[in-house]
Amino acid sequence: MILSSIIQRIVLATVESGGLAQPETEPVISSDVVVATHHWWAGFILYLPLISLILCGLCAAMKVKSKLPAWITTVCLLGSFVLSLLLYFDYGGSPELIPLLSWINLADPGGNFSGLSANFTFYIDSLSLLWIMFVTGLGTLITFYASEYMESDLGKGYTRFFAGVSVFLFAMVALVLADNLLMLYLGWEGVGFASYWLIGYYYQRPAAVAAAKKAFIMNRIGDLGLALAIYLIWTTFGTIQYDELMDVIQSGSWKESYDGWTIDAIPWFLMLAAFGKSAQIPLYVWLPDAMEGPTPVSALIHAATMVTAGIYLVARTYEFFLLSPESLHVVAWVGGVTALLAATIGLAQHDIKRIMAYSTVSQLGYMFLGLGVLSTYGAAYHVFTHAFFKAVLFLTCGAIMHGFAGQLDLRKLSGLIRIPGWRITSIAMLIGCLALAGFPLTSGYFSKDAILAEAFITQGPGFEALGWMAIFTAFLTAYYTFRVWFRVCAGKVEYEPGDEHHGDDDHGHHSEAFHPHAPRFAMNFVMAVIAIGALAASVPYFMDTKADEALAGGWVADMVHDSTAQGGLPGLDRHGQSMGDIVEHGHAGHQGEGDHAHPTLFGMDVHTAMYVISGVVGGLGLLLAAWLHLFRRQDADRLKAFLQRHWWIAWLPRAMEHKWYVDEIYQGLIRAPLWIASHLMYAFDRFLIDGLLVDGIARIPRMVARWFQPLHNGIVQSYAVTMAGGVALIALLMILFLQFWKIGGGG
Amino acid sequence: MIWGWILLLLPIAGGLVVVGSSARAAKSIALLTTLATFGASIAAAIEFDVWGTGDFGLVSSIPWLPEVGINLSIGADSVAMMLVLLTTLLMPLAVLGSWTAVGERLKEYYGWLLLIESAMIGVFLARDLVFFYICFEFTLVPMYFLIAIYGGSGRARACVKFFLYTFTGSLIALVGFLFVAWSYAETTGSWSFQIATLCEYASESLTLREQVWVLTALVIGFAVKIPLFPVHTWLPLAHTEAPTAGSVILAGVLLKLGTYGIFRFVLPMTPEAVVEWAPVLGILAIIGILYAGLICWVQTDVKKLVAYSSVSHLGFCVLGLFALNPMGLQGAVLYMINHGLSTGALFFLVGMMYERYHTRDMNAIGGLAKRMPVWAFFMVFFVLASVGLPGLNGFVSEFLCLIGTFAAGDSGSYPGVMGPWFAAFAALGMVIAAMYLLIMVGKIVFGSLKEPATDDHHGLPADLSAREITVLVPLAVLCVLLGVQPWIAMDAMVGSVNETLAAYPEIVKDAMQQVADAGSSVLSGGVNP
Amino acid sequence: MILLASAFGQLALAHYLLLSGVLFVIGLVGFLSRRNLIVMFLCTELMFQAAAIAFVAVGRYYYDFSGQVFVIFILTVAAAEAALALALVVLLFRRKPTLNAEDWRDLSE
Repeated sequence: MILSSIIQRIVLATVESGGLAQPETEPVISSDVVVATHHWWAGFILYLPLISLILCGLCAAMKVKSKLPAWITTVCLLGSFVLSLLLYFDYGGSPELIPLLSWINLADPGGNFSGLSANFTFYIDSLSLLWIMFVTGLGTLITFYASEYMESDLGKGYTRFFAGVSVFLFAMVALVLADNLLMLYLGWEGVGFASYWLIGYYYQRPAAVAAAKKAFIMNRIGDLGLALAIYLIWTTFGTIQYDELMDVIQSGSWKESYDGWTIDAIPWFLMLAAFGKSAQIPLYVWLPDAMEGPTPVSALIHAATMVTAGIYLVARTYEFFLLSPESLHVVAWVGGVTALLAATIGLAQHDIKRIMAYSTVSQLGYMFLGLGVLSTYGAAYHVFTHAFFKAVLFLTCGAIMHGFAGQLDLRKLSGLIRIPGWRITSIAMLIGCLALAGFPLTSGYFSKDAILAEAFITQGPGFEALGWMAIFTAFLTAYYTFRVWFRVCAGKVEYEPGDEHHGDDDHGHHSEAFHPHAPRFAMNFVMAVIAIGALAASVPYFMDTKADEALAGGWVADMVHDSTAQGGLPGLDRHGQSMGDIVEHGHAGHQGEGDHAHPTLFGMDVHTAMYVISGVVGGLGLLLAAWLHLFRRQDADRLKAFLQRHWWIAWLPRAMEHKWYVDEIYQGLIRAPLWIASHLMYAFDRFLIDGLLVDGIARIPRMVARWFQPLHNGIVQSYAVTMAGGVALIALLMILFLQFWKIGGGG
Repeated sequence: MIWGWILLLLPIAGGLVVVGSSARAAKSIALLTTLATFGASIAAAIEFDVWGTGDFGLVSSIPWLPEVGINLSIGADSVAMMLVLLTTLLMPLAVLGSWTAVGERLKEYYGWLLLIESAMIGVFLARDLVFFYICFEFTLVPMYFLIAIYGGSGRARACVKFFLYTFTGSLIALVGFLFVAWSYAETTGSWSFQIATLCEYASESLTLREQVWVLTALVIGFAVKIPLFPVHTWLPLAHTEAPTAGSVILAGVLLKLGTYGIFRFVLPMTPEAVVEWAPVLGILAIIGILYAGLICWVQTDVKKLVAYSSVSHLGFCVLGLFALNPMGLQGAVLYMINHGLSTGALFFLVGMMYERYHTRDMNAIGGLAKRMPVWAFFMVFFVLASVGLPGLNGFVSEFLCLIGTFAAGDSGSYPGVMGPWFAAFAALGMVIAAMYLLIMVGKIVFGSLKEPATDDHHGLPADLSAREITVLVPLAVLCVLLGVQPWIAMDAMVGSVNETLAAYPEIVKDAMQQVADAGSSVLSGGVNP
Repeated sequence: MILLASAFGQLALAHYLLLSGVLFVIGLVGFLSRRNLIVMFLCTELMFQAAAIAFVAVGRYYYDFSGQVFVIFILTVAAAEAALALALVVLLFRRKPTLNAEDWRDLSE
């Protein structure tokens, strides 16, 4: 009896009854959101990584030395992926709530607040479906890849690695499928923690530990923003559940008790959170350092999935940004500037993994630019394509690192495509590079164009300049991407092994007979599949699954359409709401019969123009890279020498190579002063509060006691004399006093 | 009914047996007694039929000095009952944790441990002010001896400072209590020391001026215990010098006596004064959070770091208490429990490390994950619980305290006198906590292995023994449980919390009205900009 | 009985108080002038008894039994104290074979 009531209290959905075991505060379900208890099995998308984590924990406890943890994790994640697909195909087209477990429920007896309710409940709409499919899909593939990649750590950290991946997937699923901001926060910090865990995987390397710590603390600053945003949202709107929030915002009922400033503050804090997680200015510095983690982690967490959580957050809470449009301008500018800055740093790095890291920061900048210029669709599409091509780029980097004993310097590797066994790696990398560079008809080309074009269409402060900046960034991207490929994969065969290796030293590097060991089945298979995925990611652009003709952009646009991010779709009537009016936006022209003049560029429709421009720009970058890094590599050296010789330009490559000294600036402006302040406070605490105040006060009785100390000479008789004398004195006083009293009373 | 007395007397009885037995048997008897007490508290919790309401259970009373209204009156509401459970849970672990750490004067040691358990349970069970105060003060005596005899090298100074500081504080609180009791006797003509009676009397009959004085006296007494900035300096010293079990009890339960005192006395006794002074106390709490957090950052002694982190963490608890709304108060009570679990565990872990290496200097040790993977796992786990990672217990309470503080503005059904600014500054503590705790972990757990020369880890296995794992596992399980299903505790305490807060909305509204009328700005700290 | 009562009747309260005072002064002077710990201790006992006599006399005078209650109390305390004090003296003597109070001055430090 008791047990079943407890279970009912924990489990929100009971399968037998087929109904919802209502929590104390019954959620107000909006008209178009359905409670889909028949999708109870979707809970296993979340539970399977957890099960995998527990099994990995058991493996660790039993000191398993085989590849068992990898297979467990792969199978569990595959299960999650399959369930995600099933959920997608079973999705009815309107957002669903799938209640799982209860968490925090705080009814407010006063009744003014609607209470605080945050349960483990899934909110399924097309946006979360889009995300969950590529998260679990890539997660499965990369885990499979890692089963081979990490094999040198068998019996040592192998289990720990896969446990970390399981934690990550668990948290990421919670983040994406949450139906309230608090569960999202759980996932949000959870992925940060998984990232900490996995970056610090080689925990004996100080650099890895430092990078892990940096990542967590930087993310924590972002988390602070998210926490404050949640408080603000809750006090303003009285709920933190998406469906209720949408209802409240759209009905405008919150305006009754609105006191005027929170609306404008919310998006800023959300932005802080998103910038922390997605590595944008000013919180991007952790991501390049995060490359200290094993490469599959870089591919999965720091390229494909976790870092896009910021984009997801903004897309998920897009309504708040639309309520305060200035915030979107900031998003756009931060994204654009980050894209450019990171690209310039990427130009000057030699470590191919770091180049990829900076290109990730840069591409994330594009996504924020897309969000800022009202193209949630473009951002989501770029997230989708980027997940594939960046994953494949990292995985190929990993394969190279794995094979060449940790060598990542592009000056020390060359001509890989001609080495037997490295063909798949090289071709996969080529595909990734093409997509990243935005080569025409690749997936990156379409998704980047969707953002770039929108920058010219949407009106905002300096958006056109921003657009040109983004185009310039696209040129830089093409250049540095192919700098990598031409250096590493093309050219004549030349290589030096690295001086370290992840895990064991049994590969005999440093010896004369170094042979790079080429990737085997698991790695090749995964690289090939994801490379094909990167190619195929352009297909959704031409898929139109919805009969909504006004909607351009294919499948991904459809996926964004039903979600909270629908405010940023091309050609969508914004439900005739005020936010459409708030945002000065030239989108009306996308309406089939639009009477607004469509913005043009060079006399062409913006989209058409952008196809041409970005194709040309990408090609130019590619050609420049081919010239400097494939055909005439000595020219590159000459250029470098030239730059370094002239003082008026020499600072530029140096600053770029030193990452614009941002780390040093942070160190000097924030960390060092705080550090000094902390020491001062500690001194203050010890000497002033404790020493002067506390001990000082404690010294007063002692000083008083010192006056009477001579009385304590240790001779008992003298004490007795004192005592007797004292008694006599008191007796005398009493007699005198009584006498006096009598006289006084008598008189 | 009888369970309350059993809880109260069982540890003392066990303590007497320990003192009378041989040194060899002392440990086992102490362990059995604490386990039996834990069992009794579970039985009491089952017997306790007022979970979720604001009533008192396990009520029982024996006349003591009935002429002046003093009775041995015990009973617990759900909040007190939870703290009793926390106490009885921590005690067997403390005994088990000092199994090998304490090697001499065993009988005394375990005798003191059992005595302090009774005293702590007495504090939570007391419904009579005099009985409460006796137990409250009596906790000092065993702790004094635990530090003075079994402490580290600076123990002489530490124990004296600990004793005198907290004793002075509670004497000031006593003056406040006596004033209320005296005033009651003046008004009604008969003495009473029933806590409930006095609270009701004080909140209704004392003038604002009198309430402010009572509040000042009580808060000084309890703030020293919590400890609140700037009366915190005894804590790092006492924690650093205390033996492991002493630190655990200190952090796990004794600090909570302060916050419990605020919950039990300050909030119900002096509501009008609380409304007037909550912003000041909130600011002190925030200063404590940030100041102690930054100090943690520059510590090299692990134990001192954890000690200062307690100062920082309990700031959140105080904020929650003075948020004056259910979110904040539930968060604060949860915080008491959660802090007891996670910080208690951290002290255990530091103690286990100290037992092996006889140093707590973060610069002398490093990379212990290599040598002690199981220890490292637990260390990281409890650090994360302490940092407030969602899914673990620390998060829920921290979140509730902060959102309570945030919502304690001038609107809503529970208007308060703090507000967004308070929460925003306090929330910076989240970042700082991550900073100092992860730096600590980065230094001692990760990195390349660095350990001081030790022949055989002082007779212990390199990694944790089964006994040590047994100490940590219950805490870890509770951390997860309270992180994932916090409603277990929240539903249980909701009645008490609402009862405590019942009077507040009106008082706050009145106060705000007065402020608005007077055009003054006493409360402007909490009003939205 | 009557004889006895009349004999008592001749004794006024003042006699008892005088006896008490004399005993007390003897005790006090002894305590102050002697150096032997045991003698000093005996002197304190003397002072106790002086107080007890005063109590019982005054109690009888006022027909109030509180005086006798106090005497019982004093006797108990004196007995307990005697046990404790003698034990301490023995312990002290074991440390240093002297009973001179001045030789134990260092106890004050």
